[in-house]
Amino acid sequence: MSRPDLANPPAPDALPGIESGSVLSRMGAVYHGWMRRLVSPRGDQFFLVLAVVIGVFSGLAVVCFRIAIEWTRLVLLGSSLTPSPLRVLLVPALCGIPIALLVIHAFPRARGSGVNQTKTAVYISNGYVPFDTVIGKFITCALAIGSGQSLGPEDPSLQMGAGIASILGRRLKLSQERLRLIAPVGAAAGLAAAFNAPVSAVLFVIEEVIGTWSAGALGAIVLAAVSSVVTMRWFLGSESLFRVPPSQLNDPAELLAYAVLGVVGGCFALAFLKWIGAARPKIQALPKRTMYLLPAAAGLLIGTAGIWLPQVMGAGYPIIDQALHGEYVWHMLLILAILKIAATGISFLSGAPGGMFAPTLFIGAMLGGAVGGVEHHFFPGLTSTTATFALVGMGTFFAGFLRTPITAVFMVVEVSGNYSMIVPVMISSLIAYLISRRFQKVPLFDLLTRQDGVVLPSIEERRERVRLVVEDAMRAGAAITLDPPESVFEALRRVEADADPNRPLLLRARAGEWRLVDRDELRRLATHESGASVPQTAADLSSKGPLPLIFPDESLEEVLRWASDWPVLPVVSRADPSRLEGVLSLADILHAFRTSAAE
Amino acid sequence: MNMHAAKDKRASARHGREAVLASALVLLALMFVVTAFVSRLYKKRVHELGDRWFANGDSALHSGHPTAALADYRNGLAYVPGNEVFQFHLAQALAAAGHADEAEGYLLNLLSASPGNGEINLALARVAVQKKSEPDALRYYHAAIYGGWDEDPIAQRWRARRELCEYLLGRGAPSQAESEIIALADNTPGNDVSQLNAAGNLLLDVSLWSRALGEFKSALAVDRHDPEALTGAGTAEFRLARYSEAAAFFERLPENRRSSETVSEMLATARAAESIDPFLPGLSAAEKSARVDRALADSEALLSNCTQGASRSPGAQQPNPDSLAAVRKAISDRKRAPVERKMGRLDSDMAAVYQAEIAARSACGSPKSPTARALLLIGDARAGGSQ
Repeated sequence: MSRPDLANPPAPDALPGIESGSVLSRMGAVYHGWMRRLVSPRGDQFFLVLAVVIGVFSGLAVVCFRIAIEWTRLVLLGSSLTPSPLRVLLVPALCGIPIALLVIHAFPRARGSGVNQTKTAVYISNGYVPFDTVIGKFITCALAIGSGQSLGPEDPSLQMGAGIASILGRRLKLSQERLRLIAPVGAAAGLAAAFNAPVSAVLFVIEEVIGTWSAGALGAIVLAAVSSVVTMRWFLGSESLFRVPPSQLNDPAELLAYAVLGVVGGCFALAFLKWIGAARPKIQALPKRTMYLLPAAAGLLIGTAGIWLPQVMGAGYPIIDQALHGEYVWHMLLILAILKIAATGISFLSGAPGGMFAPTLFIGAMLGGAVGGVEHHFFPGLTSTTATFALVGMGTFFAGFLRTPITAVFMVVEVSGNYSMIVPVMISSLIAYLISRRFQKVPLFDLLTRQDGVVLPSIEERRERVRLVVEDAMRAGAAITLDPPESVFEALRRVEADADPNRPLLLRARAGEWRLVDRDELRRLATHESGASVPQTAADLSSKGPLPLIFPDESLEEVLRWASDWPVLPVVSRADPSRLEGVLSLADILHAFRTSAAE
Repeated sequence: MNMHAAKDKRASARHGREAVLASALVLLALMFVVTAFVSRLYKKRVHELGDRWFANGDSALHSGHPTAALADYRNGLAYVPGNEVFQFHLAQALAAAGHADEAEGYLLNLLSASPGNGEINLALARVAVQKKSEPDALRYYHAAIYGGWDEDPIAQRWRARRELCEYLLGRGAPSQAESEIIALADNTPGNDVSQLNAAGNLLLDVSLWSRALGEFKSALAVDRHDPEALTGAGTAEFRLARYSEAAAFFERLPENRRSSETVSEMLATARAAESIDPFLPGLSAAEKSARVDRALADSEALLSNCTQGASRSPGAQQPNPDSLAAVRKAISDRKRAPVERKMGRLDSDMAAVYQAEIAARSACGSPKSPTARALLLIGDARAGGSQ
């Protein structure tokens, strides 16, 4: 018996049991046609559908993850925001032991926040994120955050989304290129569901993970983020993460007050970054057996602080909400910010799995509120409330610490549902970002991966790298241009009168088309060597071309691929392609690159 | 042959992809069901916890422990963060615990979601009162009065306006309060005794005696024995210098109310005024003359005592001797004068009495005897009338 031809299934009207031409057979035909197009390995439609499926999976996973964290907290610490001192002291410390065992023996990839691990997967393992990472992240993070470690659920959600996407991609035998792309798609879905903020998630993945606005990836990332958020909202409701009292900027002069917040936020973010950067290698250099004790020791320290200030434990969303309603005085806010920096650093350095996003928002809100309180003390006429400073502070610290300024601005808008403070957030975040970048060249996630011995492309460095363009290398007026009606005698006279015997000859064949003319050919035609009886024009010259048109603003890297095929390329104006701006050769390009590197 | 093999390979890959996609969709459906089940359990638990903490908060707040209530409400809100009722109660607890700014934050947030809500506006007005911000208080009180209420809007608006009136009176702004009190009285239902009494009392506070009397009489029409309405009506009549009517209302009061300091003082004064006022209509000439004589004798005795220092407060000045001299002169003149001339001197003699009473009050404080108080009131009424 021969194998059925799967590539060409029998026509639906030939399917057994289905009457030819019936409604069922027509529906079958439509289904087969649709499915064939959908699952085609080269089909973009399939990739987009897959993005939606990944989004829904990630959304469901994040819902379960958040419930798991909450349930763990309820079981371990009780339902009050201020648990009994005994629980506060013992629970994080005791839970640190199983966390360490799980992270060391069962799920070693679950360690850390998850962002740099996802980046590593994208750039080193072709988007491969083992599925046990998803399970490990789920269990260990639920235990760590639920028991009071000062970490958040967002970065782990990002990694879980990437893991789900990766396994789906592998099972569907996607191409290598698609597999690399699918992990960021899942990452965006996971982060969007965790934050209930699809725009910020898309921006973060583009700003921090893939670094480019590739059209191919963008559609899938957006679809995955939206579908995951819709799924999450289906189960947990559509309310934004925080409820912010209405506020607006009444006096533009108050932007100065937010600029001060930017400076303070930038300095605190820098200090936190420097501390993590300096302490992590020392912790990693400790004997391996100490790794079993570090999460427990971190839990004990955090629990000790939590006896007096339980607000620093866990992700701290209800506390941020209270700060946004101005429930704390400025010195309390400052104490909470400093303690949270300490608690988050200790938790993170101990190797306990969990994210940095929520603590970053917490620290920013407290710091913002404290700065606002102090400014109010000295300038009682300020119309902005402490709560608005807390809101702006979230974005400020986020931009300074995680170095994703665009995400920071949109995230504040999305998590608060409040657009009125976008200008102060932009100013404050930018200042914090600039301060942090000025004194700490390598951003947090790049620093962590480099400390682990892996050098990933730095998105920030790539973003800020000086891009050489054609204009930087071209030579203006370095060619002789010929027009088709010009007599070859006149052209030869001009060429021979020119001082430079090597200047290239370019024929403006017609609008927007340039061709390369050989000097000998011109000379041959002009001296009647061709044997023509009528006067010849430049149009009769045999030439090479058409030459690729390049423009002054084009990247030199892009132009490089044509430069080896032609001795010289015409650089023309975008407004009028028949106007020559200059010429460019391979030697010019290499010279520009060499000069730039030397500088 | 090779083409066939490649075709087979592609087809098998597509078939495999279809199977994986179908399995993924089945898994997705299963996961959806599991998540729905888990999230339902979770939501139920969370709502139970939220309700429990909310109930704890309510009982703490009602038993006068707003600080304890705060912690409970915060715990409740941690489980149901978007719950507006919880937020409103937390704001009330914050305000009760003296955290007006924090309470305002929550209330403004709630107000942005439902800007015309009367209850939230009223709570904001109370917070503004606490923060001593009069413009905000007035704005929110008015928004509460004209805002939307879920239950019994007329009564709620009436209560909000009453609170505004009391706030304005408390701020010492009776002229601002007057228009609000009149509006309140106009909107007071005619069958609610307590509301009529409240409106009447506020009208008394801004000296609108006749309108106040009207409110109390309406209340008495519903319940003719209501002690607050009787007190209010008596007070209004007393202020209108209709002492017999005032006394009549006071006398209808039960003994325990009648013996209260204010009522008993007014009743005694009203009775004294009834017996000594020579300007009351229907009195004979002889009776009028006798009343003037009694008034002169009484004021002369009061002023003499005061001059001798028996009742003068330490450090107080001597009463003006001219007043005492004028009274004595009037007494001696009246002894010699016939009845017709006495009738002609009625106004001037009572003016002398009034001056003497004022002099005594300046030097020796408010009079204690009902007759002296009555004589002062009679003089006040005459002075007011002549002005």
